[in-house]
Amino acid sequence: MSSHNESILREPLITGKNITYARITEEVLWPVENKPNKAWWIGFIVAAMGASLWLVAVGYTFWNGIGSWGLNKTVGWAWDITGFVWWVGIGHAGTLISAVLLLFRQNWRNSINRSAEAMTIFAVICAATYVVSHMGRPWLAYWPLPLPNQFGSLWVNFNSPLVWDVFAISTYFSVSLVFWYVGLLPDIATIRDRATGLRRRIYSIMSFGWTGSVKTWQRFEIVSLVLAGVSTPLVLSVHTIVSMDFATSVIPGWHTTIFPPYFVAGAIFSGFAMVQTLLLITRKVLGLENYITMFHIESMNKIIVLTGSIVGVAYLTELFIAWYSGAEYEQYAFLNRISGPYWWAYAIMMTCNVITPQLFWFEKIRTHIGISWILSIIVNIGMWFERFVIIVTSLHRDYLPSSWVMFYPTWVDISIFIGSIGVFFTLFLLFIRVLPSVAMAEVRLLVKTSSEQAKLKLLQEGKLKAEEAEFYKESLGKYDSVEQGAYANV
Amino acid sequence: MDSTKQYWKGLDERNNSTEFVEKNKHEFAESLPIEDVLQEAGLSSPTPRRDFLKTMGFGLGAVSLAACTVSPTKKSVPYLIKPEEVTAGIPNYYTSSFKGASILVKTREGRPIKVEGNPACTINSGSLDAQAQASVLDLYDTAKLKTPLLNGVEHPWEDIDAYAKAGLAKAQAAGKTIAIVTSTVNSPSAKAVISSFTAKYPATKHVAYDAISYSGIINANKNSFGKAVLPQYKFNKANVIVSFGADFLGSWISPLQYTKQYVSNRNATSLKSKKMSRHIQFETGLSLTGTKADSRIALKPSEEGIALVNLYAELSGQATSAKLNNAIAEKAIKLVAKELSAAKGTALVVSGSNDEHTQILVNAINSLLGSYGTTIDLDNPSYQYTGNEADFMALVAQMKTGSVGAVLFLDSNPAYNYCDAKGFIDALAKVATKISFSDKNDETASLCDAVAINHNYLEAWGDSNPVEGYYSIIQPTINPVYNSRQAEESLLLWSDSTVKDYYTFVKANWEATVLPFAGKTWNDVLQLGFVSLPAKATSPITFSGDVNATIAIVISESKKNTAGIELHLYNSVALGDGKQGNNPFLQELPDGVSKVTWDNYAALNPKYAQKLGISEFDLVTLKSDTYAIDLPVLFQPGQAHETVSVALGYGRQKVGKVGDGVGKNAYPFLATNAAVTITKIEGYYELAQTQTHHSFEGRDIIREATFAEYLENPSHGSGNHGEKHKTYDLWKKFEQPGHNWVMAIDLNACTGCGACIVACNAENNVPVVGKDEVVRRREMHWIRIDRYYSYNEENKSITEEKEIGEIEGKMENVSVVHQPMMCQHCEHAPCETVCPVLATVHSSEGINHMAYNRCVGTRYCANNCPYKVRRFNWFNYWNDSRFDNYLNNEFTQLALNPDVTTRFRGVMEKCSMCIQRIQAGKLKAKIDKTTLKDGDVKMACQQTCPANAIIFGDANDPESEVSIALKDERVYYVLEELNVQPGVGYMTKITNTGLHEA
Repeated sequence: MSSHNESILREPLITGKNITYARITEEVLWPVENKPNKAWWIGFIVAAMGASLWLVAVGYTFWNGIGSWGLNKTVGWAWDITGFVWWVGIGHAGTLISAVLLLFRQNWRNSINRSAEAMTIFAVICAATYVVSHMGRPWLAYWPLPLPNQFGSLWVNFNSPLVWDVFAISTYFSVSLVFWYVGLLPDIATIRDRATGLRRRIYSIMSFGWTGSVKTWQRFEIVSLVLAGVSTPLVLSVHTIVSMDFATSVIPGWHTTIFPPYFVAGAIFSGFAMVQTLLLITRKVLGLENYITMFHIESMNKIIVLTGSIVGVAYLTELFIAWYSGAEYEQYAFLNRISGPYWWAYAIMMTCNVITPQLFWFEKIRTHIGISWILSIIVNIGMWFERFVIIVTSLHRDYLPSSWVMFYPTWVDISIFIGSIGVFFTLFLLFIRVLPSVAMAEVRLLVKTSSEQAKLKLLQEGKLKAEEAEFYKESLGKYDSVEQGAYANV
Repeated sequence: MDSTKQYWKGLDERNNSTEFVEKNKHEFAESLPIEDVLQEAGLSSPTPRRDFLKTMGFGLGAVSLAACTVSPTKKSVPYLIKPEEVTAGIPNYYTSSFKGASILVKTREGRPIKVEGNPACTINSGSLDAQAQASVLDLYDTAKLKTPLLNGVEHPWEDIDAYAKAGLAKAQAAGKTIAIVTSTVNSPSAKAVISSFTAKYPATKHVAYDAISYSGIINANKNSFGKAVLPQYKFNKANVIVSFGADFLGSWISPLQYTKQYVSNRNATSLKSKKMSRHIQFETGLSLTGTKADSRIALKPSEEGIALVNLYAELSGQATSAKLNNAIAEKAIKLVAKELSAAKGTALVVSGSNDEHTQILVNAINSLLGSYGTTIDLDNPSYQYTGNEADFMALVAQMKTGSVGAVLFLDSNPAYNYCDAKGFIDALAKVATKISFSDKNDETASLCDAVAINHNYLEAWGDSNPVEGYYSIIQPTINPVYNSRQAEESLLLWSDSTVKDYYTFVKANWEATVLPFAGKTWNDVLQLGFVSLPAKATSPITFSGDVNATIAIVISESKKNTAGIELHLYNSVALGDGKQGNNPFLQELPDGVSKVTWDNYAALNPKYAQKLGISEFDLVTLKSDTYAIDLPVLFQPGQAHETVSVALGYGRQKVGKVGDGVGKNAYPFLATNAAVTITKIEGYYELAQTQTHHSFEGRDIIREATFAEYLENPSHGSGNHGEKHKTYDLWKKFEQPGHNWVMAIDLNACTGCGACIVACNAENNVPVVGKDEVVRRREMHWIRIDRYYSYNEENKSITEEKEIGEIEGKMENVSVVHQPMMCQHCEHAPCETVCPVLATVHSSEGINHMAYNRCVGTRYCANNCPYKVRRFNWFNYWNDSRFDNYLNNEFTQLALNPDVTTRFRGVMEKCSMCIQRIQAGKLKAKIDKTTLKDGDVKMACQQTCPANAIIFGDANDPESEVSIALKDERVYYVLEELNVQPGVGYMTKITNTGLHEA
């Protein structure tokens, strides 16, 4: 295998000494096979309380009507669709990591794709709850589906972006779920093999009879590739269609052709921020520092600064076009965003999405775990405000000034949003307890080639060019999971 | 090849033992225990077969029982014997009258559900005001008493009669006065009843007193011309109208009639003939009339008298020592005088003051202008208000002395609306027999011993004579709902009249008095609703008052009032004097100017309030010498500085659940004149406004021109240069072979009175949501009237928010546009494309339909509506105790229009172009085997509009009124640049300026 060594110039994707396949399994499955620790319980109780708040608030809405929200005759969507778009956007990173990066053979995805995909699925679930709960008559939520029916066979309106949305979200959810689950099969089989009793039976059923034969692995690889191919367009299409809810309307501030690319960039931006938020905690709590390394953190930060800049350019383009168009209502809509009663929301959006992510140009900052985590949260706040700005500030002052209003959320609006975060974390915390949060099978692939120990061996063998070796050693400096002392003598 | 191989299944078969052969004879090797199962043994096994059946049976039964819920029982009474004139589903119309003007009452299955003006009526010509439109709900008022009360306890009528007769006899015997306190009585039959009552009890004194009094005009006419009457004004004959605080389009005497007259000189027809009247308004608060004025000058109440003195001086050429302390008004008076004298014979000056001397001065001015016999008719007077508060004041004084033995209150509520209510209540305690004919236990009735509950007008017989020569009939349209009795009938009974029943009395009275002159029969009258006798010839009228003495008094009076902040009291268009305070339609009808619902408020000029350090919605105490109330502040552009305006008619305490405690009672301020102090107090009180942004930001949605510009080029400002706005279609246009329903709205005609809103509410069962929900901007009105201010400051018209913030002037000079706005029924409707479930679709007749049953409530359509006319059912307004206004109550539900469904929570609704009326019209045409003619179908808003500002019809018919109207050069479409192709055209507002320099 020595002839297939990876270049020493590439940074290691997993770190630590004496990494073996067995050790990976042990470490990754530790939370699945042991009783949860205190940190998990605290997190779970808090998240479950959030989820209960969601139940209460949604129950209250269903019982009393949408009137319990702060909406009014002019602002028909506010926190509901803001939350919906926010969650859908967050989901996008998972698909991007698992599908696009797989096709581009970015092996660093192997450590993070599992959690990111899980996050996608949970985020889409949270988004879907908004789709149902924002309806005036949620018990008829199946009507926007083109189902055969006896209303004289009444069809849905294929012209409506909301129908496209229904298709986009349901496709997205089902493909993501299948992709995620297929990826899980070998890992579930590993758990099955190590488990006993009832657990063994359950995991046995869940593993779909995985045998681990060469043929199985071959098919697994092919299915993964096919699904990656199917998912890749979804990364672009889902948020494009979500953006069309706005772009195809006549409301100034919504009616914008730039929306599809702008929304997709924003979605990836917010998705990576959310992955960052989650994984920085997870790697610490679950002790996965060797698998989710500084390399991952830095890579994601780079994507954040890239997409954040794209979003920033989009904001400026919108302003320019509004001015350049000479369209009265369009101009007012953007002037109102900047200087109207909701100027503070626009200012928060600009600061959090465009200005602060630029700090990631500095290596010190993008390799600093604490700052990365804080900035990832800031990006999530900023992206929530982006959707709020688009939805509420466009609606609250549109064409006829007689209908201009302000929007004030009620406790129900706020509770449903906080509650949806609770639902998300409840699902995520349950996930890391029952399924491996790192794709073991895929990480094992990295041990022989891209791991720190493999590279260390190369160094020790001393067959490398001195400057390349030096470059490699320097690049290890940022890793918090690497014992820097070990490289003093090689 | 034959096979000789043998296969055997087992050794047994190979050996072929006898045992095996024996066993193999049967299908089953061992016999089944069938017998056992069927016998006793089967029943004693652990799961016997019978138990299986039992369990199955029980399970099925239990499941079916659990699935059963008590289904709601709806009780309905079928027509066992169908009344001849009632066909279920087909409305019947009956004539009646409201406030004197003839109306048609629509009844369905025996219950009145809607009123319309009588198209033949010479007063309303088929239109109605908001109060009349809302009056149906008063019939179904839950606060009404069900039986008469004696000492606060329900009693049968016999007890009431005995009590009344004994009390009246005692008063008569003791030589004490028996007072009948009424508001204006212009019913000939009621007058006859009162005189027959007086014949029986000679001590009777009839005191008519109106909450809003016009006795100043009546007394002034007596003084000036020897005729103690309210004249009829002819605004249609006036080319120059100058009003000093008279809100004649909104609340002054007979606004419906005046609106018709006024608009006839300013509408599309008049403009086509190059004619437009000129209207100058001097006033304190911004009234509905002020919003329509070509020039409006803000004036303090104390300045009004001086202004009139100056105007008289200018017109007569006399010099005056009185100087206006207001340069703008002073200049304006000079210009107005010129315009008036140029228009002699077609000029009209009116004043809203109830001060006799001011009105004498106005009479003198009108005499100089030759208005009598042309724009003012004293010979055919109005009897709409004949009350005189001096009489009532005298009665209260008499009551205080204890010389009043009995007092009867008919249609009058002094404990609420008399300025010295406290004095009245004290005096009332000294009266032995106190009877009220109120239909509810209101402020006065609750102080009376007996409440002889009266019918609602829709349950009653009656008549009225609102103006000279015009007699209308009131006939019942429903059997009395409760155990009430007509007040007149009670009076007849108590005076032992030979005629005990009021129907006979009215009929006999008409046959004796009116019918012979009119040449009509009683049945004709029931059918026609009214009779109109030819107008009396006008006689030459000479002013015989003492002008100089009057001027002296007016000057000295106005000097009295200058201390502090001057208080201006007015009637709101919606609630008037407050009688219909429990009417949810009226409470939620936005004020035509301020757009405030559910409250009265202290209106202050924003710039003046700034000076006082008061912000909008701050609570302030208004304090006069004798009375004080706390009110929230509303910033009212156009309000004169150093003045505050407060609406009367609010602050009812005993009117019912809807109206109790809404606003504050300002009537006691009428006792003292004018000056108040304003003190800011702790607290913030947000008023429920349906519109919170008040300028149109210079947008193209409002298009205006001056009359001069119009004369030069009729399409000036409309953006309509002889051709229709070019529209584009991506797809082939849908055919509209039948009808194409559209509307035309004349911004120059609309006065913003809001009658259309209430008519639409009543026609379409529109929910009333209450103050809190209006504050949350969730009112449900299908039609609204957008009102935009533009500020005439710094020699230009300012409409944009950022510029308004920088105005340094006084904000007294504002122009106002009213723009009725409802679903525009766009051909390219943005709402239709976005609905995921096709709940809103276009009809082949050009209407944007809303299928409530299909709606899932995503609200996408409302978001995407550029006009923001879609209304969402946030709650279940017809079944939610928090919205106990009208829909939630079984009794009030009787007022609902059965042709329109009530909407469930979570669905969208909006103007349907009264689709039920269109369908009914088409059906009728089909049955009659004719085609639908223009005018056969009218929208509820159109029908009631006193200004004829709304025209509806078929655009496919080139001869229809609407097609002709839409060809007008002034027509434009709001937001037509979006290419949504709206179906409602608007006509530019034309202002007859000339005084802007003032």
